[in-house]
Amino acid sequence: MSTPLYELRKIQRFYGSRKALDVEHLKIKAQRVVGLVGPNGSGKSTLLRILAFLESPDQGTFLYRGGSPLSREEEYRKEVTLLLQEPYLLKRSVKENIAYGLRFRGEIGDLNLRVREALQMVGLEPENFMRRAWYQLSGGEAQRVALASRLVLRPRVLLLDEPTASVDLASAAKIKAALGEARKNWGTTLVVVSHDLQWLYEVADDVVSLYNGRIASFGPENLFAGGWKAAPLGGAELFLEDGQRVMVSEFCGEDGVASLSPDNILLAEEEPSGLSVRNALRGRISQMLYENGSGRVLVRVVAGGHPLTARLTAEAVRDLALHPGKDIWVLFKASSLRWLA
Amino acid sequence: MDYILQGFVQALGYLFSGNEELWSAIITTLKVSSLSIALSLLIGVPLGFVLGHADFPGRKVCRTLVDTLLALPTVVVGLLVYAFISRRGPLGELGLLFTLPGIALGQMVLALPIVIALTASAVESLDARLSMTLLTLGAKKGQLARASLMESRYAVLMAGVTAYGRVISEVGISMMIGGNIKWHTRTITTAIALETGKGQFAEGIALGLVLLTIAFLVNGSLSLLRRRVQA
Repeated sequence: MSTPLYELRKIQRFYGSRKALDVEHLKIKAQRVVGLVGPNGSGKSTLLRILAFLESPDQGTFLYRGGSPLSREEEYRKEVTLLLQEPYLLKRSVKENIAYGLRFRGEIGDLNLRVREALQMVGLEPENFMRRAWYQLSGGEAQRVALASRLVLRPRVLLLDEPTASVDLASAAKIKAALGEARKNWGTTLVVVSHDLQWLYEVADDVVSLYNGRIASFGPENLFAGGWKAAPLGGAELFLEDGQRVMVSEFCGEDGVASLSPDNILLAEEEPSGLSVRNALRGRISQMLYENGSGRVLVRVVAGGHPLTARLTAEAVRDLALHPGKDIWVLFKASSLRWLA
Repeated sequence: MDYILQGFVQALGYLFSGNEELWSAIITTLKVSSLSIALSLLIGVPLGFVLGHADFPGRKVCRTLVDTLLALPTVVVGLLVYAFISRRGPLGELGLLFTLPGIALGQMVLALPIVIALTASAVESLDARLSMTLLTLGAKKGQLARASLMESRYAVLMAGVTAYGRVISEVGISMMIGGNIKWHTRTITTAIALETGKGQFAEGIALGLVLLTIAFLVNGSLSLLRRRVQA
């Protein structure tokens, strides 16, 4: 079996006394596209900074290409680059911004050509943009220039923190296309944090869900955070906005976070009766995504204001004639929920 | 009131007729202020960068000291430099008293805290994302420092221009160190002081107009630079 590009074991990272990251085990294979999802403050950006060798974990084993990157960070930062959530452009022309990393590496032989290539990859016309100053760009253009300044390096690993969060639709499309090209041309490994789940599940080979600094699951996980009460007949219950109830077989405190795998959710067109499952929620399909890694379809249902994701085969989707807007019943066992914290 | 108006008219006449004495003071001022600002930038920018960028014991004390020196009166600088470069002083052998390099040395002492403090502030106020961006582009430690300084270049230039504004308008140092010697160490400010004392308003006004023009140019370039910094 080939050595993974990254391997993290029992990694912990603290900011003061706050634990920002607590990863039990994570492997990232070369030339894959890995998506990182999770709510704000779940440790996604911290994980990216560790993967970019900008921060070191306080505890645990962190391996890059099978060895410790300790004291070799400068060397490895030449093959791994990170696009920040809010990109910073140097107070220079677009050309100089893109060429800067090449200059650091002393690769100035075919500088003009590579800058042009990078600009074309992100959909910016070199003739129009090369000489522009940093303050003559719109938000979307600035983000694309920032991406071009990474792509020009032909990185082995490209880490992206919300690359399409603050740009217009056209820029987002160009960014996505450029990432696809980087992967195709140079076999670049991509690790992407994004709230654009439709795109992420479409392109990612693996999706890692983070919650509270921990890996909640590999793939989309349903989380029920806080507001639990001890149920009169044992276990715990949580009331959704419309009064529907989610039941779990054990009580783990009011602020507990319960997770539910999308594989453990069943969908039904009619209200079921005579079933052993204790959770049957009425909802409406809000979104359907194709999941690249599993080849299945992720069906998002909003029940009582709470989004739930089920993983179904294409046949099941066809048989049930599922489509966004359709009313549906969501079924899962109380014992299929597990407590995260 | 008439004598002021007459002074203005005469002043313009002096300026445009190429009065040699007047132009000697202007050229001396430009020479000495250029030398002093070049020296203060040469020494002050690296020191300011270290003060703003590096973390070392006693950094806060250094910062407070530099900030205090910003308010240094020119006559105190004049006195100190005079003491150092007069015949009995430790630098007496260099023969700098009553020379242009002597005035430049004094003005450099005046400008240095301004350059150091403003450079340090410029480097400190660099966007936190800058160093992360440079690191992600593969910068090594030395490249990171150089690129950070380059990023703050407009703010550092602003520091130089601000210091120049202070140097060009000072009178205490030029008077005490230079001695206001005609054709030799007489600067615009010392000439104005002398001519006003003699009741020669026209010469004073002419030189004042030149000084105001220089101040205007300095401030104009400052606001241009400020726009660049904020862009």
